[in-house]
Amino acid sequence: MVQFHELIIGDLLDDPNGGLVVLSSGLSLPKLISSLVLLHSSSPILPSRTVSELSADLPAHNRLSLYASNSAFFVTPRILTVDLLSRRLSPSLVSALVVPSAHSLSESSPDAFAVRLLLHRALSIFAFSDRPHSMVSAFAKAERTMKCLYVKKLHLWPRFHVNVADELERDPPVVVDVRVPMTRAMVGIQKAVLEVMDACLKEMRKTNKVDVEDLTVENGLFKSFDEIVRHQLDPIWHTLGKKTKQLVSDLKTLRKLLDYLVRYDAVTYLKYLDTLRVSESFRSVWIFAESSYKIFEYAKKRVYRFVRSDGVKLVHGQGKSVTGKKRKSKGGDKNEEEAGGASSSIAGSGLVLEEVLEEAPKWKLLREILEEIEEERQKQALSREELLVEGEADDSGIVLVACKDEHSCMQLEECILNSPQKVMREEWEKYLLSKVELRDIQTRYKKKPKDPKGFGILDGVVPITPAQNTEASNCINKLERDALMAAASEIRNQAKKDHIVGEDPQPHDGIVGHRKGKGKGKVRNKKGVANFQRHPGSENNNHIKEAARDAKVEISNSENDGEKDESNPVAAGGFCEAASHTASVDEPILRKHTTEESNSTGSRTAKPLPPVHFYALESDQPILDILKPSVIIVYHPDMTFVREIEVYKAENPSKKLKVYFLFYEDSTEVQKFEASIRRENGAFESLIRQKSMMIIPVDQDGRCLGLNSSVEPQASSSQNSITRKAGGRKEIEKEMQVIVDMREFMSSLPNVLHQKGMRIIPVTLEVGDYILSPLICVERKSIQDLFMSFTSGRLYHQVETMVRYYRIPVLLIEFSQDKSFSFQSASDIGDDVTPNSIISKLSLLALHFPRLRIIWSRSLHATAEIFATLKANQDEPDDTKAIRVGVPSEDGIVEDDVRAENYNTSAIEFLRRLPGVTDSNYRAIMEGCNSLAELALLSVERLAELMGGQKGARTLREFLDAKYPTLL
Amino acid sequence: STSLATQNRNAILVSHRQKGNPLLKHIRNVRWTFADIVCDYLLGQSSCALYLSLRYHLLHPDYLYFRIRELQKNFKLRIVLCHVDVEDVTKPLLEVTKTALLHDCTLLCAWSLEECGRYLETIKVYENKPADIIQGQMDTDYLSRLNHSLTTVRHVNKTDVVTLGTTFGSLSHIMDASMEDLARCPGIGERKVLFSIQSKTLA
Repeated sequence: MVQFHELIIGDLLDDPNGGLVVLSSGLSLPKLISSLVLLHSSSPILPSRTVSELSADLPAHNRLSLYASNSAFFVTPRILTVDLLSRRLSPSLVSALVVPSAHSLSESSPDAFAVRLLLHRALSIFAFSDRPHSMVSAFAKAERTMKCLYVKKLHLWPRFHVNVADELERDPPVVVDVRVPMTRAMVGIQKAVLEVMDACLKEMRKTNKVDVEDLTVENGLFKSFDEIVRHQLDPIWHTLGKKTKQLVSDLKTLRKLLDYLVRYDAVTYLKYLDTLRVSESFRSVWIFAESSYKIFEYAKKRVYRFVRSDGVKLVHGQGKSVTGKKRKSKGGDKNEEEAGGASSSIAGSGLVLEEVLEEAPKWKLLREILEEIEEERQKQALSREELLVEGEADDSGIVLVACKDEHSCMQLEECILNSPQKVMREEWEKYLLSKVELRDIQTRYKKKPKDPKGFGILDGVVPITPAQNTEASNCINKLERDALMAAASEIRNQAKKDHIVGEDPQPHDGIVGHRKGKGKGKVRNKKGVANFQRHPGSENNNHIKEAARDAKVEISNSENDGEKDESNPVAAGGFCEAASHTASVDEPILRKHTTEESNSTGSRTAKPLPPVHFYALESDQPILDILKPSVIIVYHPDMTFVREIEVYKAENPSKKLKVYFLFYEDSTEVQKFEASIRRENGAFESLIRQKSMMIIPVDQDGRCLGLNSSVEPQASSSQNSITRKAGGRKEIEKEMQVIVDMREFMSSLPNVLHQKGMRIIPVTLEVGDYILSPLICVERKSIQDLFMSFTSGRLYHQVETMVRYYRIPVLLIEFSQDKSFSFQSASDIGDDVTPNSIISKLSLLALHFPRLRIIWSRSLHATAEIFATLKANQDEPDDTKAIRVGVPSEDGIVEDDVRAENYNTSAIEFLRRLPGVTDSNYRAIMEGCNSLAELALLSVERLAELMGGQKGARTLREFLDAKYPTLL
Repeated sequence: STSLATQNRNAILVSHRQKGNPLLKHIRNVRWTFADIVCDYLLGQSSCALYLSLRYHLLHPDYLYFRIRELQKNFKLRIVLCHVDVEDVTKPLLEVTKTALLHDCTLLCAWSLEECGRYLETIKVYENKPADIIQGQMDTDYLSRLNHSLTTVRHVNKTDVVTLGTTFGSLSHIMDASMEDLARCPGIGERKVLFSIQSKTLA
């Protein structure tokens, strides 16, 4: 804990009712909260200092006893709300509530509901947010957040706060900012993407639906751009034409392309573009733009190019000049020249595929930096022996490389372990292999033309897209494809041969077998064989394999060097350990290899490298405190991580720390990093202004007026009755009750109903979402849900069951307050009756279920009002009856079934959408297997047993095993 | 005049009360003709519709109730077609909803005369249509089914489905894939992996 953390907590505790703290991202919010929790725990003699998690997996009575134990818990607002409503937890038992991400709170969110239910005189509420930017995203957001948290104090702790800045800048780490230029092709892609983005933005402006000012390419680089656009378009979203919606999603795709450009290697990038082309080609606007063509061209050129077999470069478009230029730029890079050696040709066509396999410039840079670090370290070690420096114990010597995602981590690790060329080659082989499978499918397709009654599943056939047709019409493209295919099949044959050869050594090679057991990908295994070839039994075979490889693919010297070194058993042993460590699933974040092994493998320059750890920023681990690194290489610059480094340094002032930042020069990466800092500062300035003008009612804490939470619902309901019924006639009737399905606690309606003074009874319902009376059952659909469940057929079945069990089945269509109250604009209605229109679907629903009643609600509050009106002359619903409705077997229902409330809803939704799975058998499947992974392995027989029928089981099994059609 | 009767069976019968309603201009896909009927629009043998403009309702709040009462028990499907033509809808719509619901009417809301007309047309045209387009059996080919199921997982879009498909080869392999394998797929990395993994446990 650093000093300013103590200040923050001190400030916060000043008001016994608590407050809201907004601080810069990366200033160790978790540490802050943990120390607050420790301070607050009234019984300091806790047996263990761990804070247990109250998950829904715990049976209700266990939760009950935990609540009674007076310790601290993690709990989701949903469980908290349900337990408060079902009176398992009394509010007075809770002395403090910590809300760690206050920015996601809104008046009607489940968190706010929980706070309101909990509120009592002695409750302290501590709310935090480390995303100042989202605290200013809506009008008076901070003020409104404070209101629904019932707190009066707002504390702002920006990075530029005097106390924070002083402490962090007292002894800052040594920072080295390294900029490396992007390759020609990368620059080309970046430029082209920006151009397309610009074009899309211009197109967007033409729609006259959005405020032009915010629509700049620079804004477009940020995720928040979507928010800006969505914020403007949401109120009219359902009235927008297809094209505008497509533009919004295109911009998102383009932003991803920019991001991936600096993150992925050339082959993966090309692969991603290929999948994009397949999945987007019909709809998207951008893919047909002039500049998009350039994106694809450049991306291809980073991976391969074509030459005529006589050595003349193939000329098409501007291809020639570009290739020429790139040649020049590559001149200094020997690696690439080498890698470009392999080629394959097709007889007759005269076209030769030449691999380029451009490496990311940062890869080389990273290696250089690592080498430099090691050199320095050795020098230091020498001098240290003489001087006996004291700070020795502090210097862990650990080098940490921080990348954005797991994928980059793995790749960089392989780059360092082996050689960049090898990584590229593996990616390339994988790429080609996925292409060659397509050809197989296509030939099969030709032999057996269209199965008439076909599900299409077994063949795995895809209709050829128009995009492909136009492409095929282009002669050069066809030749290109053929060349790719030739190369691919060569590699595949190679792989087959390897496989046969590779079979033999395995019995001797324990390690390889072990690694296989860990279930890693094929490629990994292959690499394993290649690396561990010191075993006498296998040596021979591997040499054959290597020889076979040499014939086709020129292997760089480096690899051969590595092979020789590996005969050193100690070094190789070290590697083994590290590798199996990597393979273990338990520690996905830490990738480590030792000095010896980096000496032994790959390095052509043979310069020693220090031990390196890789860390994916997105995995959100307190990596700095665990590892205590002395050198940090920030491979993908990220503001939050920079702050974390600063705090880490401030906490360990005696430690020497050197930080390298790796930027691509003139890239959007730099732009983004700098703008993110600007943005945060801007957000804080706006918050400071807001704070100075904030008007906070005296009773905002909700605790001074004696409105105890236990009486609050009644109080508000009697207020309602005064306004509703003239003269404020005393209500003698008991409070209204509504039975609500557990899953509905994700939405805000239960909260609003409760505000209206209704008693909410949370249970798991099989039929309907809300039961208002013994007769009335309501299925609630938000607009998005409505469209989706019409398409999936879910709504039809839900209505079907409601009609079966209730006298008055109701479909509630709930619009949201801030969006327009209509389905579509008049111009979108069209001239004909079309089956896809929502009008047609609703009409059909009404025709098939004439007893179905439809409620159209403007907003949550309108819904609550309607519910109250409908309940007026009805009996109260009976929850024990409601639970049993529609449950297939009477004995299937267990009293207080805990599992029912916490099934993973998205997995269930996924399961229910699989062919063969029906409303009547999905539960049995869920009982029968613990996870989707397990389901994937079940046999037809077992499935038939679970699903109660051969037919469904076979359909499901076939769908699961169907070969995915590979696409080019 | 049996021919007239069959003709009328294929047309929407419109009450004389509706004369002059600009809505009639927008019924173009189906023939309509004036007739002596209790309801405003007769859409089939046992389905009928009453037209109600919210603005009119504000002036005559009892109108709807009396019209519904006139219908008696002669129709299986009784539709109240509500034209939302006021800004502040909450209160009038609440009243209309309550009346319709308590008197066995199905409420349909439309925001323009075109939309009103389209509802009437559609109900007439679909009079004898099976429900298959809302039963979710539209797309039976492999790819759309795969898309349909996989995109239920949060943050997985169609591009990701292609990536997953080409990488793992079949759905069972996707479901069985390890965290690391998932992370290796371009575009799947980031937070998406977390969601896919979380959603793997059924219970």
